[in-house]
Amino acid sequence: MLETKGLTKYFGGLCAIEDLDLTVRKGEIVGLIGPNGAGKTTVFNLVTGFLRPSSGRIAFELKDIVGRKPHEIASLGMVRTFQLTSVFQDFTVVRNMQAASHLDPKVSFWEAIFNTAGYRRKEGEIKSRLLRILDFVGLGGVRDTVARSLPHGHLKMLCIAIALAANPRLLLLDEPLEGMNASEVNTTLHIISEIRKQGTAILLIEHNMRAVMTICDRLVVLNFGKEIAQGSPSEVQNNPQVIQAYLGDEDDSAELEER
Amino acid sequence: MKASRNWSWPFSIIILLAIPLLFRDNNYYLHIFVLVAINIILTASLRAIASVGQISMGAMAFAGIGAYTSAILMKKMAFPFFVAFPLAGVASMIAAAVIAYPFVRVTGIYFTMLTLFLGEVIRLIITEWTSMTGGSSGMLKIPSIGSFSLSGINVDFIHLVPYCYLVFILMALSLLFLYRIDRTQIGTTLEAIEKDEKVAESVGINVIRFKVLIFCIGSFFMGLAGSLYAHHLRVLNPNSFGLFPSIYIMIYMVVGGRKRFSGSIIGALVLTLIPELSRTLKEYQPYVFAAVLFLVLFLLRQGLVDLVERIETRIAKGRERRIEHA
Amino acid sequence: MLGGLVQAIFSGLASGWIYVLIALGLALVFSIMRILMFAHGEIYMLGAYVVYYICVKGGISFLWGILISALALGILGIFIEKVLFRPIRGQMEPAILAAIGLTLVFQTTAVIAFGSYNKFIPAIVPGVLNIGGVRLAWDRMLIVFLGLVLTLGLFLVIRKTKIGQAMLAISQDPNAAALQGINVNDISSFTMGIGCALAAIAGALMGSLLNLTPQMGTLAITKGIAVIVLGGIGSVTGAVLGGLILGLVDGIVPLYADSTTAAIAGFCVIILILLIRPKGLLGHD
Repeated sequence: MLETKGLTKYFGGLCAIEDLDLTVRKGEIVGLIGPNGAGKTTVFNLVTGFLRPSSGRIAFELKDIVGRKPHEIASLGMVRTFQLTSVFQDFTVVRNMQAASHLDPKVSFWEAIFNTAGYRRKEGEIKSRLLRILDFVGLGGVRDTVARSLPHGHLKMLCIAIALAANPRLLLLDEPLEGMNASEVNTTLHIISEIRKQGTAILLIEHNMRAVMTICDRLVVLNFGKEIAQGSPSEVQNNPQVIQAYLGDEDDSAELEER
Repeated sequence: MKASRNWSWPFSIIILLAIPLLFRDNNYYLHIFVLVAINIILTASLRAIASVGQISMGAMAFAGIGAYTSAILMKKMAFPFFVAFPLAGVASMIAAAVIAYPFVRVTGIYFTMLTLFLGEVIRLIITEWTSMTGGSSGMLKIPSIGSFSLSGINVDFIHLVPYCYLVFILMALSLLFLYRIDRTQIGTTLEAIEKDEKVAESVGINVIRFKVLIFCIGSFFMGLAGSLYAHHLRVLNPNSFGLFPSIYIMIYMVVGGRKRFSGSIIGALVLTLIPELSRTLKEYQPYVFAAVLFLVLFLLRQGLVDLVERIETRIAKGRERRIEHA
Repeated sequence: MLGGLVQAIFSGLASGWIYVLIALGLALVFSIMRILMFAHGEIYMLGAYVVYYICVKGGISFLWGILISALALGILGIFIEKVLFRPIRGQMEPAILAAIGLTLVFQTTAVIAFGSYNKFIPAIVPGVLNIGGVRLAWDRMLIVFLGLVLTLGLFLVIRKTKIGQAMLAISQDPNAAALQGINVNDISSFTMGIGCALAAIAGALMGSLLNLTPQMGTLAITKGIAVIVLGGIGSVTGAVLGGLILGLVDGIVPLYADSTTAAIAGFCVIILILLIRPKGLLGHD
């Protein structure tokens, strides 16, 4: 589904990502992990068009997407969230969803202006779809709350909901569990696996090792911009290079060792 | 947004429709009526462009393009008004489309500066092109809207009352269009772009395209307003479309309130009426403008429309309380 | 023919330095207070009128007049900062609108108080220096000299004094500067004061070259913005370069084309710069 070959990114003289071959197949949940500063978010930025790679190829569903703008890539079906909550802070939850759902179904400009019956029907359909997504992620009760006043866990969930509203076939989640307590983590993991069941593949950046081990089919480990290991959670866990990399990152390595 | 029992809109429309009849003998009041209508269109258009967060200081320049286009078409090429009018809008829109792509890539204060300089360039071009526009001495004897016959119904717009109704209808149609943009998914998308462009891009919104779109649409209506202006005053001067007139439209928009659509209407209405109704104090009119501007900036950050809302809310609350006690 | 060109260049340099002074004040306020002080042109205009009234009407010598004008308008600037801009610090849109409001107030006051008829400040130093048939006016030379001196002075203040360092710190990061113990309020007032003083001086100098009108500020602010776009915000050298280039263009182009075409061309260049390289020739930030 998503494939990068030899993906490389230099910032000036500094090599942020070096020769990365990353694959995400249909229906997979792939975890992109690594110590802080390994370049994980940079990979997201490269793959979704927010940054241009210095060299290498990126293909989404066999189509070359290097150089395409972020909104094009999103409309092709690859949608990402941002590390810090990427929502429209001043909008209500519902409005957030509406802003994200403009793609589907494609509503004609003129239909909207003249408020045709067709437009009203489509608007109704969109709205019920959005509400379904909100219920799915558990935000149905707060639909008219302004995003800014939501508690942290709900905000992170709204991020995911917004991305879902844009109808992704591949969802890129950047630290969706950050700052969540144990029960929130469980809920979110459940939702992520539901999303996969509904046919969307997921690429996930996370520091919560326990969660990552539980939910991911496959892991890709990054350190200093290079891939140092790839494989199933248990394979990666026991990989000496991975353990070595994390020794510098105390919190994660402790979790890693616990398992 | 409460849409249910809002009586103020139908009520105000009825009042507005009655005005031309009530004042049919007072040419001056009818003249103000037309000016208000023109300014409302201009302010609503500026607000549309500003809804993506791009504040333009060149609004009147596009009105000027429309004004001169319409004037030239009617005066020199004997086009009827109902052809010249939409063509004026098209002319402004084409001018906007030409510069839109590079312009909308620039954000914030730099965009505002761009529009400032563009406005000056347009004004200077109009001044320079004396063969077509009469230059700084102005264009005179522009035909007015004239008569209109349709299957036996003969409406003569020389008479001010039908003329006012025509202007009102044209304004209402323009406002309806702009309002629909604001109200629908398009408006939500535009607002989303203003709030956070990065998030908007990440959910697939083509930010550049929407910015260009709304810039062109806004300019179209500014052109239409310019046409109305030209055939109302029947005299044109390039300086009417310069920096300060554009700034005035900006002030109408801000004072009325940018957040809600009705803000443009209120702002244009109030600030057009003030100088026209206090003719004796015409000299001091900018003071009043500045005072109102400061008032809004420091006390009523959301504009006059916010004041109206607060009053509405207070009335509604009072009504609720009375119902409770009953 | 050549003599005409040399004179045009010289004249252009003089107006160029005036543009530099306008731009420096504007850029200073913009960098440090993040405000596009639209009323800067009006301060410039007021500076000219103050000098007119105390020198031409009051008989005080011109250089003293400029000093008094600069001081008076500097103090006005400090007052404006405290009352108007401090409550809305950090918000760009309200700040521009407030500046626009000030513009309305000042320009209207000028029209009412001073009348629309052109006034004129005579040349500071009358007479010309005649070098081989080329006539270089003394007053223009003085303007160039003053421009240089003031620019250098400003440059030194920013680089070498504590206040200047504080101003630089605030222009980079106001919060960090505050944490370092810098009194952002006082420095902001001071910056506004200096900016207005520079504008006043520029206005007085221009007033001795051209007529005074209550609307002269509008052209000044447009020129000022053009200079900082051209030269780059945040760069003193950029402001100098931009101002001189614009001044030279204003001096030379009218020899070959009419002024309106020159103005159109000039603005188009500025537009292109904003589109392609908003940072300007030498800008950072």
